[in-house]
Amino acid sequence: MAKVVVLGAGVSGHTCASFLKKKLGKQHEVVVVSPNSYYQWIPSNIWVGVGQMTIDDVRFKLKKVYDRWGIEYKQAKALSIHPEGDASIKKGYVTIEYTDEEYAGYTETVDYDYLVNATGPKLNFEATEGLGPDKNSLSVCTYSHAAHAWEELQKSIAKMQNGQKQRFLIGTGHAMATCQGAAFEYILNVAYEISRRGLSHMAEITWISNEYELGDFGMGGAFIKRGGYITPTKIFTESLLAEYGIKWIRRAGVFKVEPGVAHYETIDGETMTQEFDFSMLIPSFSGVGLTAFDKAGNDITDKMFLPNKFMKVDADYKAKPFDEWSAGDWPTIYQTPTYSNIYAAGIAFAPPHPISKPMTSANGRQIFPTPPRTGMPSGVIGKIIALNISEQIKGGHKEHHHKASMARMGAACIVSGGFGSFDGLGASMTVFPIVPDWEKYPEWGRDMTYSVGEAGLAGHWLKFILHYLFFHKAKGYPFWYLIPE
Amino acid sequence: MGNYKFKAYYDEAYPPVPDKATLFWRKFVPWQLFRFIILNIKMIRIVAGGHS
Repeated sequence: MAKVVVLGAGVSGHTCASFLKKKLGKQHEVVVVSPNSYYQWIPSNIWVGVGQMTIDDVRFKLKKVYDRWGIEYKQAKALSIHPEGDASIKKGYVTIEYTDEEYAGYTETVDYDYLVNATGPKLNFEATEGLGPDKNSLSVCTYSHAAHAWEELQKSIAKMQNGQKQRFLIGTGHAMATCQGAAFEYILNVAYEISRRGLSHMAEITWISNEYELGDFGMGGAFIKRGGYITPTKIFTESLLAEYGIKWIRRAGVFKVEPGVAHYETIDGETMTQEFDFSMLIPSFSGVGLTAFDKAGNDITDKMFLPNKFMKVDADYKAKPFDEWSAGDWPTIYQTPTYSNIYAAGIAFAPPHPISKPMTSANGRQIFPTPPRTGMPSGVIGKIIALNISEQIKGGHKEHHHKASMARMGAACIVSGGFGSFDGLGASMTVFPIVPDWEKYPEWGRDMTYSVGEAGLAGHWLKFILHYLFFHKAKGYPFWYLIPE
Repeated sequence: MGNYKFKAYYDEAYPPVPDKATLFWRKFVPWQLFRFIILNIKMIRIVAGGHS
C-alpha cells in the first residue's frame, strides 16, 4: 500500500487529493494536511468584500468531504520536509503542527511514499511597512479579510450618504505583488456598488498598480480580438476603469502604508503619496516557509527552495536576461529535481522567472508584477500530478504521461464588474498560452484563435454559475470529475 | 456607468468608453444569452487543451 501526502487543501491541493483518491481507491492512502478546516473558493471572495455573498457562501468544511472520500485529513500546518528520513525513520516524512482546537500545538511526523507541496502563498503583508488588515489597509485574499473589507466599505458608504466625500485606493500593496486581477475585480465591484447607490459623485476611486501598463496582470499583458481590432489588454483595462470613473496610478511600488496614506515609489524614482479613506491593497506573496533537512539533519532548504520560499521543480532556473526567456523554461510535470517523489503544485512551485518584463526604478527598486498562478492552471497542475503519481503507483514505473506547462495551456478569467442577474457585468478574457511564446507565435505572442475579451451580462452569469459548479466539484458531488479545472 | 468626468490631457481621458448602443447590448438578455453560449464554447476549447 502506498501513501501520498498532500500539503494544502486549496484549489491545487484539493484537486490533487480528490483525483489521487479517485484513481488509487481504497488500496492506497491519501493524507491531506491543511491548517484551515475549510475549503474556500477564493474567486468569490470579491463578492464577500462587497456584501453580495457571505463567508459561508464561499467555504465548506473539509473533513466531511474527506471522510466521505476516505481521505485522511489532518488539520495542521506543515513545518519541515525530511525527504531522506533520518536515523530512525527510513522513509521521507514531514513534520506538522496541529492547528485544531483539540490538538493545537501538538507536533507529529507523517511519512510518505509521495509528497505534494500545495501549500499556496504566504500573504506577505510584512514585506510592506504598515500593510494589512491588522494595520493600515484591507485585503480580500481570504474570506475573513473580505468580510472585514465589507464592514469597512459599509462605513464609507454611510459617510458618503451623510454627505462626506470618501477616497478609495485599491490595487497592489508591494512593488512586486501579483494578483492584480483580484484587486481589479474588487475596484470595479466597489465602484459598481457605489454607483448603484447613487453615490458616485461622493467617491474618488483610484487604482494603484506596479504594472508598467495596465492590463499586464503579471503575464506581460495580452492581445485580444475586440470590435474588429486586435487590442492590447492595456486598452481593455483602461477602458473599464475610465467607464467606471476610476483614476489610476501605474508603475508604482507601494513601500509603506500609514493610516490614511500610502507611500510609493515610481519607476522614475520619485517618492509619492496617495491619501485614502478606504484602501484595499494586495500584499506580495512568498512560499509558506517550509524548511528541509537531509538524513543527517543538515539544512537543505536552499537546495529545495528558492529565496522566495517557493519550491524548485523541473524548470530552468538559470539566470538569464528577459530577451532570452523562453517557453521551454517552464515546468511540465512539477517534480522536484532532487527528490523524484516530491512535487509542488499551484502557487507553491517556483516559477523560473517572471512573465512580465522586470523593471527597476531609478533608485534600484524592482517594480513589476510577479507571475500569477490563477485557479485554472493551479487546478490543472494538481490534477496532472495526481494522475502521474497514481499511474506510477499502480504501474510500478517512474514515467510521467501527463504534462501541463503554463507555456502550453490557456487560461480563462472572468473579471466581475458588478453583481446582478440583469444589471451585473463580467469581463471575460481568455489567453492561450498563459506564458507567451514569441517563438511559436511571433506576431502576438499567443494564439489569437483562442483570445477573447468582452464585457457583458453573460460574463457575470458565467462567473456566478462557475461558483456553484466548482463547489459541486470540490464537494465531490455526482460526476464532479467531469467538471474541468 | 455615467461617471465619466475626465478632462482632456489626463490619462483617463483617452481609452475608449462604451456608447449607448454598447451599453444596451451588454445587458440585453436575448443577446447576452447567445454570448453566454459562445463564451462557454470558447472556454471549453481552452480548457480542453489545457494538459495532456
